[in-house]
Amino acid sequence: MKFFRVTLLLLFCGLFFNSPAQAVKIEISSPGEQTIPLAITPLLPIEFSPNAEMVKEFQQVLEYDLDLSGLFDLVDPQAFLSDAAKLGLRSSDVDFAQWRVLGADSLIKGGYSLEGDKLTVELRLYDVITRRLLTGRRYIGRREDVRRIAHAFADQVLLSLTGKAGPFSSRIAFISNRTGHKELYLMEVDGHKPLRLTDHHSIVLNPDFAPDRKELIFTSYKKGNPDLYRKEIYTGRESRLSLKPGLNIGGRYSPDGREVALTLSKDKNSEIYLIGTDGTIHKRLTNHYGIDVDPSWSPDGNRIVFVSDRRGNPNLFIVDINSLEVSRLTYEGKYNATPAWSPDGKQIVFTRLEDNTFNLFTILPDGTGERQLTFGPGSKEHPRWSPDGRFLVYSLDRAGEKSIWMMRADGTGARRLSAPGGDDSHPAWSGRW
Amino acid sequence: MELSRKERWQQLQSVFEPGFRRMLLISLLLHLLVPILYYTPLFPKSEPLKPPVYRVNLVNKPVKHPRAGRPEAVPSKPKPKPKPKPKPKPKPAPVKPKPLPSKPQPVPKKPAPKPASKPKPKPKPKPAVSEAQENLLQRRLEQLRREQERKARIEELKAAALAESQKLESPIENAPLGMPEGKGDEAGPGAIAFVKEFIQQQWSLSRYQVSGNPQAEVLLVYSADGTLLHYRFLDKSGNTIFDDSLVRAITRSKQLPQPLPEDMELQIVFNLKEMLDRP
Repeated sequence: MKFFRVTLLLLFCGLFFNSPAQAVKIEISSPGEQTIPLAITPLLPIEFSPNAEMVKEFQQVLEYDLDLSGLFDLVDPQAFLSDAAKLGLRSSDVDFAQWRVLGADSLIKGGYSLEGDKLTVELRLYDVITRRLLTGRRYIGRREDVRRIAHAFADQVLLSLTGKAGPFSSRIAFISNRTGHKELYLMEVDGHKPLRLTDHHSIVLNPDFAPDRKELIFTSYKKGNPDLYRKEIYTGRESRLSLKPGLNIGGRYSPDGREVALTLSKDKNSEIYLIGTDGTIHKRLTNHYGIDVDPSWSPDGNRIVFVSDRRGNPNLFIVDINSLEVSRLTYEGKYNATPAWSPDGKQIVFTRLEDNTFNLFTILPDGTGERQLTFGPGSKEHPRWSPDGRFLVYSLDRAGEKSIWMMRADGTGARRLSAPGGDDSHPAWSGRW
Repeated sequence: MELSRKERWQQLQSVFEPGFRRMLLISLLLHLLVPILYYTPLFPKSEPLKPPVYRVNLVNKPVKHPRAGRPEAVPSKPKPKPKPKPKPKPKPAPVKPKPLPSKPQPVPKKPAPKPASKPKPKPKPKPAVSEAQENLLQRRLEQLRREQERKARIEELKAAALAESQKLESPIENAPLGMPEGKGDEAGPGAIAFVKEFIQQQWSLSRYQVSGNPQAEVLLVYSADGTLLHYRFLDKSGNTIFDDSLVRAITRSKQLPQPLPEDMELQIVFNLKEMLDRP
C-alpha cells in the first residue's frame, strides 16, 4: 500500500514538474529594428482637378516632420507598387500584402478635393502588419492651409504611434535683427513663414509664451528701460507688464499661467521675483548679494531653476517657491547659464562655456546624470524645450552669424530653422497652437 | 643575536607612543575588514547584465543539439588539408613531361615546320615519307594528349568531389556553424537561438516611442514545421505601444523560415535593456 502511495506521489510530482520544463525561457532585450518602416503615398484627388504642386508641398512638410521625429525609416517611393495609386481610405481597400513585401510596418494614405479655394484632405494611418486603421482624419480648410494640415496630421501620427502628440502645429518665437533692430518674430516649427510681431526700433529680448493663450511676454528697451511687455498675438495688443526701475528681464510664465517669474533689479541687485499677470509683486524668491537671473519653472510649478554667481562663478541653483530654500545644482564647469526645465520635469537643459564656446548639457534635477548634447564649433545658447519634450530649439553662433536650430532631446538630428538674412537668437517654443 | 633583536624591539617600542601596538592591530583588522565587507551583500555588485551573444546562421537548418564553436577552425580533422593540395599540382605536372621527350617540335607548334620546309624545294622524297609518318605520329600524340587531359580532368573532379564532401554545409566562408554554448554534436544553429534571432529581427520599435524599460512575457508554441500554433501574454508591460509592437513582431513570426527539430514552447521575456544601454 505504502509502495503504491509513494509511486502515485512520484508520478504526480513528475507530471507537475515536467510540463513547465518544456517551455524554454529566453530574453530578447532589444528590438532588431529600431525605426518604424513607414510608407507615405502621395495624396490622390478624390474630386475635382488635381493639383500636383499642392500635393508636393503637403508631402514635403509631412516627410520633414516625421523624419525629424527620428521614429521612422521612410520607404523609398520608387519601390511603391500598384496599391500606391489606389485611394484606399478604408482598410478593406488596401492591399497590405504589397506593403508588407516592401517591408513597411506603417502606411499613410490620403486623398483630397480642391474646389476653388476650399480644400478637404482625408488622411489615414494603417498598421500594415495587423491590417488595422490606426488613425484617420478629415481636414477642411483653404488651399493655403495645406502646410498646417500636414503639420496637424504629423502630430496625429506621433500621437497614434507613441501615445504623445507631436509639436509640429505649434510656433517658435525668436529675436532677429533683420530690420536693423532686434525685434520679435514668430515662425512655424519648420522655419516657414517668419512674421515680425514688434516694431519697437529698439532692443527686444527673451520672449516666452503663455501656456494656454496666444500671448507672449518679452523685455524691450522701447521706453529706455528694460521693461517686461505682454503682447496678444492675434489682436496685436501690447502692454507693459512690469516697469520697475532697473532690469525687468527673463520673464517666464508659471505652468498655470497665473504668475510670472522674472529678474528685477529695483533694489540695485538682481533678484528673482514672482509677479502676477497684473504686474504686482507677489513674492521675492531670492535674497543674496550675488546676481540671480534666468529663472525657469519646474512643470509642477513648485520649484524654479536659476543662474547665480553667489558661489563665485555662474552656476545653476534651484529655489523652492514655498520654503524659499535654495540648493545648488551644478558644480562642474566655470560658466553655466540659461537653464530650461523639461516639460516632463525629468531634465534641465543649460549652456556651459568651455574653451570659449557654449555647448548644451542636460542634468537631472537632483544634480546627477549630467550629459553633453552638442559638440563642435559655434556657441549653442538659449535652449528651450518643445511642448512635448521631444525637441530642443536653440541659437547657434557660428562664422559670425546667429541662427535658430532645433534637434532631438538626445542631441541628434540638428537642423537649421531660421533663414539667412540676420542674426536670430532667443527662441521660445509655444504650447499647443 | 637574539638579545640584540630584543633590545632593538624594546628600543623601537620605547619610541612608539603607548597603545601603538593596539592601534596597529586595530588598523590591520580594519584593513582586513574592507575586503570582507566588499564581498558581503552590503555592497552589491552592479555588473551590467549583458545577454549572451548568439551567432546564428539562418541558411542552415536549426538543430536540437548544436555542436560547440566553429568547426572549421578546429584542427580535429587534419585530412582535408593535405588533400586539397595535390589537386592543383597534378594538372600541370603530368602534361608537360610526356610531350617533351616524344616529339617536341611538331606537338607544340604546328605552323613552325611548314615555313621551314618551304624554302627547301629539293629534298622532296624525304617529306613524302615523313609526312605520312608525321601525320600518324601527330594523331597518336593527339590521342595521348586527349587521354592525359581526360585523366587530369578526372583527377581534378575527384579532388573537387572529395573537397566538396569534406567541406562544411555552409555556403558562406567561415560561417559559424557551431554555437558558442553548444554541447551537442549536430552542425547548425541551435533551434532556440535561431527562433530568438528571427523574432528579434521581426520586432521593430523606436527608442522615441516608449520611455523607461517596459517588460512583457509571452508564451509562444511552435510546431516542428515552424508554424506558430498559438501565443499568450503571460505578463503585459502596461505600455500599449510596447505591447502592440510585440503583437506585430509575433504576427510577423507566424511562420519561421526553417523547420524546427521538434515542437517548441518558448517563454520569451521582451524588454529594452540592451537598447537603453547604448547611448
